[in-house]
Amino acid sequence: MITQQQSVVAPNALKPKTTKLGINLAIAYSVFAAAVVGTFAGKSFAPNGFELVVANHYDLWFCVGLALVGWVFRSVGGHKGAIITMTILSCFIILTLNQGQLVRYLSLSALLFSMGMYGMGQSRNAVRVLISIELMLNAVNLNLIAFSRYVDPIQLKGQLFAIFVLTVAAAEAAVGLAIVLQLYRNTSTVDMNRFNLLKW
Amino acid sequence: MIPNGAEVFKLSRLSIAWLSIIFGIVWAVCWSIGVGLPMLLEGQFGERVTLINEILKAVTPIVAILVFIPINAMFMVLIERRALAIFTVRKGPNRVGPDGNLQTMADAVKLLLKEDITPTGADAFMFTLAPILFFAPSIFGSLPLLAAVTNNHDLFKILNLPTGIFYILASASLPVVALVMAGWSSNNKYSLVGGLRSAAQAISYEIPLVFSLITVCLMAGTLDVVKIAQQQAGGILNWNILGGGALAGLNQFFAAIISGQGADKALAAFYPYGGLSYVAALVLVPCVFMSFCLYLTSACAEINRIPFDLPEAESELVSGYNTEYSGIKFAIFFLAEFTNLFVVASITTVMFLGGGDNPIPPYLLDKFTPFPQMIAALRETPLVKDLHLINPETLFATFWVIAKVYSLVFFAILIRGTLPRFRIDQLMNFGWKRLIPLSLIIFVLVVFARGFVISHG
Amino acid sequence: MSYDNLTALLSLPVMETWMFYVLSALAICLGVGVLHDRVVIRSGFILIGVFGTIAGFFLLLSAQFLAMAQIMIYAVAITLVVVIALMLTNPRLEAERTAEPDDDNMPAMAKFFASCKRNMTLWISAFSFITLYVAISGENRWPVAGLPVAKDQVKVIGEALTTTYSIPFEFSSVLLLAALMGAIMIAKNEPLHDPDEEPKKAIEDSKTQENNLALTR
Repeated sequence: MITQQQSVVAPNALKPKTTKLGINLAIAYSVFAAAVVGTFAGKSFAPNGFELVVANHYDLWFCVGLALVGWVFRSVGGHKGAIITMTILSCFIILTLNQGQLVRYLSLSALLFSMGMYGMGQSRNAVRVLISIELMLNAVNLNLIAFSRYVDPIQLKGQLFAIFVLTVAAAEAAVGLAIVLQLYRNTSTVDMNRFNLLKW
Repeated sequence: MIPNGAEVFKLSRLSIAWLSIIFGIVWAVCWSIGVGLPMLLEGQFGERVTLINEILKAVTPIVAILVFIPINAMFMVLIERRALAIFTVRKGPNRVGPDGNLQTMADAVKLLLKEDITPTGADAFMFTLAPILFFAPSIFGSLPLLAAVTNNHDLFKILNLPTGIFYILASASLPVVALVMAGWSSNNKYSLVGGLRSAAQAISYEIPLVFSLITVCLMAGTLDVVKIAQQQAGGILNWNILGGGALAGLNQFFAAIISGQGADKALAAFYPYGGLSYVAALVLVPCVFMSFCLYLTSACAEINRIPFDLPEAESELVSGYNTEYSGIKFAIFFLAEFTNLFVVASITTVMFLGGGDNPIPPYLLDKFTPFPQMIAALRETPLVKDLHLINPETLFATFWVIAKVYSLVFFAILIRGTLPRFRIDQLMNFGWKRLIPLSLIIFVLVVFARGFVISHG
Repeated sequence: MSYDNLTALLSLPVMETWMFYVLSALAICLGVGVLHDRVVIRSGFILIGVFGTIAGFFLLLSAQFLAMAQIMIYAVAITLVVVIALMLTNPRLEAERTAEPDDDNMPAMAKFFASCKRNMTLWISAFSFITLYVAISGENRWPVAGLPVAKDQVKVIGEALTTTYSIPFEFSSVLLLAALMGAIMIAKNEPLHDPDEEPKKAIEDSKTQENNLALTR
């Protein structure tokens, strides 16, 4: 706790107006929680999963170093995205390094799906919400194709389903963007919080 | 007579000289990286350098393309200026070098030495990324074509994909995004309008383009460009431009007549339903020829050649999406445009004009010429046997490919000298109301007629 | 060498692991860029990179056809539509996120809960990722068939689409057509009863674009 307080105070002296304490705290906690849950999940589902992570010092410290590099970028005034990216990336590598091929792909698609979910909830621009939905659909496609590669490599049902997802995504993008355009013409805003005509 | 015959003579002399220089350099590079260096290394170090040799062989096509593109673009710019001068009865470039033949080299040096300016308010990263994204697909997209025109030569089969033509189309659709990116990031309204025009135009004209190529794939039964090129071997009647293999039976029929055996059997084998099959073949021939014309038209629109060059219309938008570009970035745009023209001509050659195939059928060729003996004699010489300096199988194919591709390029230049530019609404009407319905009709006709003819037996 | 050199090269185990991590690093960086970039149009352009890397994953999973379709449909068509829509709507008017209250007097736990409340979406998405990961991971959880992938995938997909799945395929084409027409109808600016109007969506868009230029720039 003390180190966190200090690291918050020190940049504040340099940059008076950027206090992104809340989001940084939340990300740090969530990374910690994800790592803990992930390692325990690895321990419970895989025999020797936890020991493998810990024994493989090089990889672990590589990932921790990656996160530290991100933190340093942040503290010297780098882009805020740097640390988020670094933490997510290192968390992802820790979680998937000792898993099988299929689980890696599935974890990546879960990560992309959650990122799309975050963007869908967080962004106020309607078009960016649509972009996030496209990201989620892509994650689903990745999932389906990973399954079709590793579980069903002869009949390729996953790829077939991915083709249908592709067409639905194209239709969704066309109609959704047309709706956004028309909304913009009528209300001259694309802010999601302003679209509250049906709220009671 | 031709009013300026001297200019025509200069043009043809120039083309022959430049083409021999270009392909001599490319051939030397290919041989030295793909064959010569591995042989030398293996002679020196034996088995230890196998991995290095594999890597060398794998990078050969990319190096060949990277060497080929700049000199080819210089040649194409020069020949375009000269040919346009002939069409409009004036003198072309005539100052730099003998007869102005070094004009494009001087231009290239000028472009490379110019200052590279990023305008104020521009998104610098996107501004730099756009030319790269415009140029890279034309390199990577043309790799399967290399395998196709050299008949799956050992050095060039690294990217011989089973989904070849789909790969080419996917990479050919990427530059549009780069144009929108260039237009948006240069902080200039003319650039933005140019980029948006290119997006609208490319999306509209991609549909007839894909349909015309799908027609050919439907007749060939595969997406693999190497297989499509191999199927068309054996004379002009087998080429896809004449019915997509619907006349293959006719070809066999002529071969049987000349060899004097089983002429009627050959016809029956390829046209199993009698009169219905002949009608189907008669439908297929104009349909596939129409799709060839459709492909040329929509490819012209896709790469912004002149009747469709609305994204860079000089008279309305200053220069469209590349208004703000200068120096090496502009040079990359310029290079990529001419490379795209060349790639389109190569796709047409492989998909419609038989790749490296000789237009004279082999049954006639074997009778009249000593080519087979010549090739056999060539194969025995030490140049081929020990050094692999010349590949006798692909020697003539290379000549035919070069002839076909540069005739198509010349055809595009001819169109540029002939036709005026479209207006944007005319362009959209032409695309959506003429080309797309026409391509759909052709597609449906080919689907139904294909079942009655056995193509490419 | 097998039937196709690229697939053979990509299916080497070492190659696959390295390529997977390089591509996933790219995908995560670009994905964060898409969600985080302040200029919305630039995030629309970064989206091309995300789709491109996902096409790279498809190549790794030896689904070539889908990779090409991904590039052609997602990375070019959908991204272009998104970018043009972003240019037509005016993203500069989007309000910045409200500044977070800087209250240093709160205790740590209260601060923590306040940040939780502010970043509820973040927590939900992190929680969903952890849930999904716990559900996914573990050895022998999935019935992984150790078979090599089918050699002529395009043929398998084509046959399945025209025989077993022909009705969904037709329905999806009808859906696409309906969506196309619906999008044109929705995005059209004029009243519907005008008799001599023409469905020139692209021209309308370019005209509106020219009108909006003064606003966007």
